[in-house]
Parts: sequence; C-alpha cells; structure tokens
Amino acid sequence: MAVLRTTTSRILASTRPSTLSPFLRRTYATVEPISNLGEAMSATQRPVSPKHTSTIHEPAQSPEARTKTFHIYRWSPDTPTEKPKMQSYTLDLNKTGPMVLDALIRIKNEVDPTLTFRRSCREGICGSCAMNIDGVNTLACLCRIPANTSHEARIYPLPHTYVVKDLVPDLTQFYKQYKSIKPYLQRDTKTEDGLENRQSPEDRKKLDGLYECILCACCSTSCPSYWWNSEEYLGPAVLLQSYRWLADSRDEHKAERKEMLDNSMSLYRCHTILNCSRTCPKGLNPGKAIAEIKKTMAFT
Amino acid sequence: MLAQRISQHSARRLLAKQPTLSRFTPSVAIAGSRLRPQVRHAAFQPSATEPHAQTQPAKPSDAYAILAAQRLNRPISPHLTVYQPQITWYASALNRVTGCVLSGGLYIFGAAYLVSPLLGWHLESAAMAEWFGSFGAVTKGVMKFGISWPFTFHCWNGLRHLLWDTGRELGNRQVQVTGWIAVALSVVSSTVLAFVGMGDGKSKGKGVGEESWKGEFKNWKG
Amino acid sequence: MASIVRPSLLRQSGVAPAAGRDLRKRAPQPYALSKLNSSSFRTQSIASRILPLRSDVLRGIPPSMLRVAGFHASGRRPILPAGPQIIDGTANDPAPIPQPSPTHGSYHWAFERLISAALVPLTVAPFAAGTLNPVTDAILCATILIHSHIGFQSVIIDYIPSKRLPKTRALFWWGLRAATLTVAVGLYEFETNDVGLTEAVKRIWIA
Repeated sequence: MAVLRTTTSRILASTRPSTLSPFLRRTYATVEPISNLGEAMSATQRPVSPKHTSTIHEPAQSPEARTKTFHIYRWSPDTPTEKPKMQSYTLDLNKTGPMVLDALIRIKNEVDPTLTFRRSCREGICGSCAMNIDGVNTLACLCRIPANTSHEARIYPLPHTYVVKDLVPDLTQFYKQYKSIKPYLQRDTKTEDGLENRQSPEDRKKLDGLYECILCACCSTSCPSYWWNSEEYLGPAVLLQSYRWLADSRDEHKAERKEMLDNSMSLYRCHTILNCSRTCPKGLNPGKAIAEIKKTMAFT
Repeated sequence: MLAQRISQHSARRLLAKQPTLSRFTPSVAIAGSRLRPQVRHAAFQPSATEPHAQTQPAKPSDAYAILAAQRLNRPISPHLTVYQPQITWYASALNRVTGCVLSGGLYIFGAAYLVSPLLGWHLESAAMAEWFGSFGAVTKGVMKFGISWPFTFHCWNGLRHLLWDTGRELGNRQVQVTGWIAVALSVVSSTVLAFVGMGDGKSKGKGVGEESWKGEFKNWKG
Repeated sequence: MASIVRPSLLRQSGVAPAAGRDLRKRAPQPYALSKLNSSSFRTQSIASRILPLRSDVLRGIPPSMLRVAGFHASGRRPILPAGPQIIDGTANDPAPIPQPSPTHGSYHWAFERLISAALVPLTVAPFAAGTLNPVTDAILCATILIHSHIGFQSVIIDYIPSKRLPKTRALFWWGLRAATLTVAVGLYEFETNDVGLTEAVKRIWIA
C-alpha cells in the first residue's frame, strides 16, 4: 500500500505545475552570448590562485597514504562570467596509477565528476590528453607523476588556447591550418607501370621523424610566436607536416607547397626559439624541420 | 484503490503493446512509462517537480551560430606566466630584448646627434668621453658592463642563431649546451670589456685591442 | 602659474581614466548586438529572453563581475590581449593562405641572414684592429642600421597584428621608417663630422 501511495504521488506530482522559475529550471548548458565580459575578465589573466579556492580531499584517507596535491585549472562555459580558477585535489598515490592521466581519471571517477579533459588511448598515440603539466606541454598519459609528494603538481590546458572547458582547449584553428597545407600526396603523373608510387629506402628514410607526428599540438602551443600570431603563423606542428610532404620524393607539387609558405607570416614568424623540439612528447624535432624548410626556400 | 491500480496496470500493458496509443492516453497513465527519466531528473534537482527540462527550439543548421556565440565567452589559457623557464625561450627573449636595447640606444643617439646643434647639446665624441671620464672607477665599470653585456650576449647568441640557420646543432641537448655556453661567454667577455681601460693607464693608448683587453683581465685577476 | 595649471591637470587626470573605463564598458555593446542581430539562429522567443538580460548587463547594473572588469581595464591591462575567439568559416574550411610575396618571405629571410653574417667580421674587426678606417666604419654603421631596422620590423609584425590593429600597425610601421631615416641622416652626420663609431666608442670606453 505504501508502494502504491508513493507511485501515485509521483505520478500526480508530474501533473502539478512547477513552482520554480523557468530560469532555475533550466538544466541544459545553454549558450548565452553574454559577452565579451567573460573574455575581458579572464583572458590573459592568471586564474584564481589555489590559495583562494577550496581543496577537495581524497575520500577515506588511509594512515600510510602518500598524499599529493594537484592544482588543476577549472573553467566552465555554464558560468562564463566566472574567472577561471585553480582547484586543488589531494590524492593518495598508493591508490593511483603511475601517470598523470591516471590521477586525472581517478579524480573524475572518485572525487569530482565535473572535471573535464580529453583522453582516449592512454598510450601516447592519439594525442588527446595534451596539456600543460608543471609548466611543460606534454601528454598526460606519457607523463609520470613525480613521486615527490611535497611537490604540488599544477595542470593547465595547453597554453594560449581558447578553453572550451577545464583542460579542454579549442583546436579548430590548428586543424584548419593543418588542412590548409594539403597534407596528402599530390601527383599529376602516373607511375610507369601504373601501380603504386614507389620510393627508394633512402628516400623513405627522409620521412623518419616526420611521419610519427600525432598532431597533439604540444609543440605549437609551446611556441611564443604561435601564441601571439596563431591566426596567421602556422606553428611548428603544421610546418613539420608541411616539411613531411616537401621531403617526400613522390610528391610533385613541391613548388606550390613552397609558394604557400613564401610570405612573412606562414613560415617566417619562426624565430628558432626551439620550445617546440624541447617539449615534443614523441621526441620529434619540429625546429629542425622548419630550419630545413627555410634552407630549401632560400637556396633554390 | 484496487480499481485504480487495475486500471493503471491495464493502461500500461495497453501502452506496451501499442505505443502509438500514447498520444491519446491520459497523462496520468503515460507518466508510468516515464518514471525512469523522471527519477534521474529528480536526483539532480530534488526540488524540481516538473519532468521536462525547458527546451529551446533549434535547427541543426543553427549549430554553427551557437558555437560561434559560445566561442566569444571562452577565456585564454595562461601562457607566459605558467610555462616553465627554459633556456630555449628565455635566451630567445633575451636576444630580442638586448637587440632592442642596443638598437634603441643607437636610434636615440643618432636622432639626438642630428638635432643636437639645434638644441645646443654636446654629443661630440670628445665631449661624451669627457663626461664619461668624470665618473668614479666603480660607476664606470658598472656602466660599461651594463652596455657591454647586452652587446656580447646578442653577439654570441646571434652566432648560435646563424649556426641553427644552416641546420646544425638543433638537437635538444646541443640547444641547451650552446645556450649556456652563450650565456657564460657573454658574462665573461663583458666582464673583461668592463675592465678595459681601468688598469694603470697603459691600455689607454693601445685602444680596445684584443691583446690589450686580455692582458687587462690578467692584471685584474693577478 | 603652477596654480593655474594644476587644477586643470587634476581635472584632466580625473576624467581621463573614467572616460577610459566607460569606453571599455560600452565597447562590447555594438559588437555583441550586431552579432545577435546577424545571427538568425535563435527564434524570436529566445532572443527576447536574452535581450533583457543582455541590456541589463550592458547598462551596467553593477554585478561584481562588471566592477571587476572595469577595475582590471583601468588598473592593469594585459600585455598583448588575445581578444574573443572568432573563427572564419567552419571547422572544415582550411585556414586562408596568404598571397605569396618572396620579398617579405624567402628573399627577406636570406637578406636578413646575409646582413647578420656580414656583421660577424665587421664586429670582430675593431677588436682586432683597434679602430676601423672611415669606409669600413661607414659600412659597419649601415649594416647595423639595416640589421636594427629588420629587427624592429619583426618586433612590430610579431606584437602588432595587422588584422586586429591595422591603424596601430600602420602607425608603427611608418614611424619606424621615419625613425630609421632620421637615424641614418644622424649617423651620416656623425660619421662625416666626428671620429667615426668605433673610434668614438673606444674613446669613451677608455676615458
């Protein structure tokens, strides 16, 4: 009978008009173009420091816990006028996997499900979890958590990117630039036997260190030149890919490819700062590739 | 009570068999089939008694405009302030700063020299040498170091850049090693330059020859 | 005299930041409204739901955030602000490719390296030879000037994007040209009337 009563009340409740205002009832993350205000407030300013935000603790701490603090950048599009802040989380490293991505997943699973980040392969081949960890751009899945628990880890999204939410940057411009260099084999002629386009082992070797790029955008977003001019400068990752096709013996549109770079912005905003090579989580050398492009453009 | 229960039950069974009927059955009966979403909803908003979230009509073609509006609210993630200090970009920034300081100084001097006759300034080399000579030895040394360090750093680091432009020494290890070499060389050479002309006066006649400033450095150390 | 000047100065300094703050507060309005009008994505009902909210915000009902924005705008302006994110075209359109111009691209780069490389022996020479003869000294001056000009140019290109700040960019661009020309004349005067750059530096250095 009690069961029946609750069911009925529930059913009846659904027919009752709501007493809440439509604004409070809204549950979807709707878009309100309130502004440039959010932008004016938060752009290029430091997020609220962890000293001024609460710390979310590990559930049920054990006495022999190796507790480490993670300060993580938070910003939500649902409250666009709120400044980005650094949220602190403490985790017991004994219960956490070895990599930073493990820590993030554990936070999301057990501590705070609202934390947002991209991840997919957890083995450094998809490039989804690129972020700025302790000041260096890298893949969270390839970055070990420093065992030193007195050191507090700081995790930011990729630097100088527009933040979609928390650690998720918007890479639309990056992909559009990648598309603009026509990253595919361009040929006008067929091979003599009409079969596949062959390449000598030596020519194939020239592509080593170029084709492995996973387009995680770590290098591009570590480059100060790209920070200031991402609208027009292509950035290290895209230039590395550009060189990958310039170095390919089978490609027949090299002159056109070079012409595309021959202006003051696309390529020549590179000032050989070399943050790109320093940060590449795959150990590639975009700086060297760009130097090679400049050489071939200058002396041919 | 029992009658109510039975009618509800039969309504649900009817609904399960003929889903199209749902449009015409009274809302009390359909609510049963909606129980699950309603419960989930209540879990997030305990006080909300309304089963539906308020919806906004939008066509698939609106997606781009919604996204564009969303983009306007996005903040920029922190960059200069959070990126780890590394010899790569610090040296590059210093190269630019020192270059701007040196060239800016030259520009200011060149322009001032052009207008000095009009304004009665004395920027001839003799007058400036006299003015500079009026300072104490320590002040002179500090000022010389202040001028010569940007110069030497820009020179040594410039060599590094020229080397890179030929496609050499671009590995991570080499970049760091050459970076610190450039810093060390610039400090040493500008210290040496700061001590030029401060010795026993012998070097005054000889000028800023390499031998003389090397000798000067030795004198100072010994 | 000072007493006459000072009040007006005070008034000016009092007005200037306030005006600046006002401008910044109002600045988003035309932009945002035009954005709203141009976007046909919302049905009438939603537009009317948002518009009042919008105008509330813009009229400057001072929610704390607005006050914060005003404060930051007048107090500490960020270096190289990035501006709101605007992307031309959809995610599937490639980024536009600029018009090729080797004079600003590959030729420019090669010329820049040539000048820099030429500066190496020209810089070493005075240390080796004491001072330079007038011709070499003039060449050194000219090379340094060109090197400086190119350096300043790349600073301007890097930090003043022509897309976002076309007027500031043009101002600095032509200002730099004027400055370089002035300095060129000044250095010419110095080279012809004085002892030359290297000799002058030497004399001052050992003074």
